[in-house]
Amino acid sequence: MIITNNISKHFGSFQALSGVSFEIKQGEIVGFLGKNGAGKTTLMRILTSFLPASSGTVLIDGVDVAQDSLITRQKIGYLPETPPLYLNMTVKDYLKFAAEIKGIPAKKRRRQFDNAMAECQLEEVVNKTIATLSKGYKQRVGIAQAIIHEPKLLILDEPTSGLDPIQNLQIRNLIKNLKDQRTVIISTHILSEIEHVAQRVLMIKSGEIIIDEALDSLMRSHSIDNGSGQRRQMSLEEIFIQQHSENSDDSMSSHINSSLVNDHG
Amino acid sequence: MIMDKVYFIAKKELLSYFKSPVAYITLVLAISIFNVFFFLIIDQNREVTLSDVFHVMEFMFLFLVPIITMRLFSEEKVNGTMEFLMTAPVTNTAIVMGKYLGVLVFFSLLICLTLIYFAIIEFFGSPDRMTIASGYFGVWLEGAFFIAVGMMASSWTRNQIVAAMTSYVILFLLYFMINFTKYFSGPAETVIQYMSTLVHLEHFIVGVITPGDVVYYLSGIFICLLLTRISIENRLFQ
Repeated sequence: MIITNNISKHFGSFQALSGVSFEIKQGEIVGFLGKNGAGKTTLMRILTSFLPASSGTVLIDGVDVAQDSLITRQKIGYLPETPPLYLNMTVKDYLKFAAEIKGIPAKKRRRQFDNAMAECQLEEVVNKTIATLSKGYKQRVGIAQAIIHEPKLLILDEPTSGLDPIQNLQIRNLIKNLKDQRTVIISTHILSEIEHVAQRVLMIKSGEIIIDEALDSLMRSHSIDNGSGQRRQMSLEEIFIQQHSENSDDSMSSHINSSLVNDHG
Repeated sequence: MIMDKVYFIAKKELLSYFKSPVAYITLVLAISIFNVFFFLIIDQNREVTLSDVFHVMEFMFLFLVPIITMRLFSEEKVNGTMEFLMTAPVTNTAIVMGKYLGVLVFFSLLICLTLIYFAIIEFFGSPDRMTIASGYFGVWLEGAFFIAVGMMASSWTRNQIVAAMTSYVILFLLYFMINFTKYFSGPAETVIQYMSTLVHLEHFIVGVITPGDVVYYLSGIFICLLLTRISIENRLFQ
């Protein structure tokens, strides 16, 4: 579905991505993990052809996003970090516009509009102005515009950022329901989100991929001494902290250990 | 297919004007000022002509057009909707054309509201209809050019005020540059005369439509739209 080959991106002298290569198969749910500023959003923007890569290629279903972006854009549903909403429009008008601009034929427009509304549970607010909606609803409207043209690939940048726990759960359930039909890429630094929905993890640090592994195998391959001589499986959060430690693994492990000892009293 | 997308974007753009107070304030403000000047001019000149009204309209558009164009791209950048437009399967040309047509329709509506002046002088006298038609065409073309300038300025910045100020600088230069011809001679003088909007509109107002004047406005519009497309392609707002 997606093949990236040695993507690099620099903004002036700042190297945002460096030699990023990976392959994602149809139907996979992949989590992009990384600190703020690691390069996740830049990578997503290159996949969606919003930004051109400085070097390297991205193929979606064999089509180069830099050469034939109109074809690849048709296959992608994208929710940027800030939901791209026209605040003075109603939910209905906005999604209607999204359907039109994404090239859905007039005959199918009504059905796909209804499907997106139903999937994102927006029926209650269909005639409300977007500016008056809660953050959770705004996020759902953002997801609805991303799925309205029934794309094969869904790219969600921080879909639960800034939401309260209930809204977070609602959006997570929504993504879980979506994933059965599509390839999904989720970027986040909320690690529990990845543990709940993703099958595979791409960890990005300073513009480079440092881990590209199935979530199960990643969790199995990382264990830690719990302070009483026994080893236990590390959580994704612990793996993340370990990988992003500026110091050696040993010092980070000891930090995690001391935290655990304190936790267990 | 591309014309469909242009139409959808233009429709959205036009409707969004009427969902904010900007459209109503602009229309009421413009028509109120035009009304005052129309009656002052008619009362003073006692002539069945709209020549001076067209001059007032031209001058007022210098101030009004940047207000209606400043939000075009700046607002999209701030709201993050630029990312939505530019990752949708739609070309940059369609985005620029759609937005431009949306504002142009709004502007044309404003021009149409001033047709009442023609109706009034037609009712009370026998005006030269062709001259008035030519004047309206010139004012409309000039407004279309101003809109293209304003949209281009809006594509350069995220800040609506900066966009409006940039438009004012460019439009004032185009409008007042004829006053600087005395400092130049030879080809420079000719270029400045050609660049000045005042010279070209004057021909339309007296009822003379020349290919050179039409080409001036159309090429100005084309260059501004092209620069707008280049601007959004190069992500100057990043």
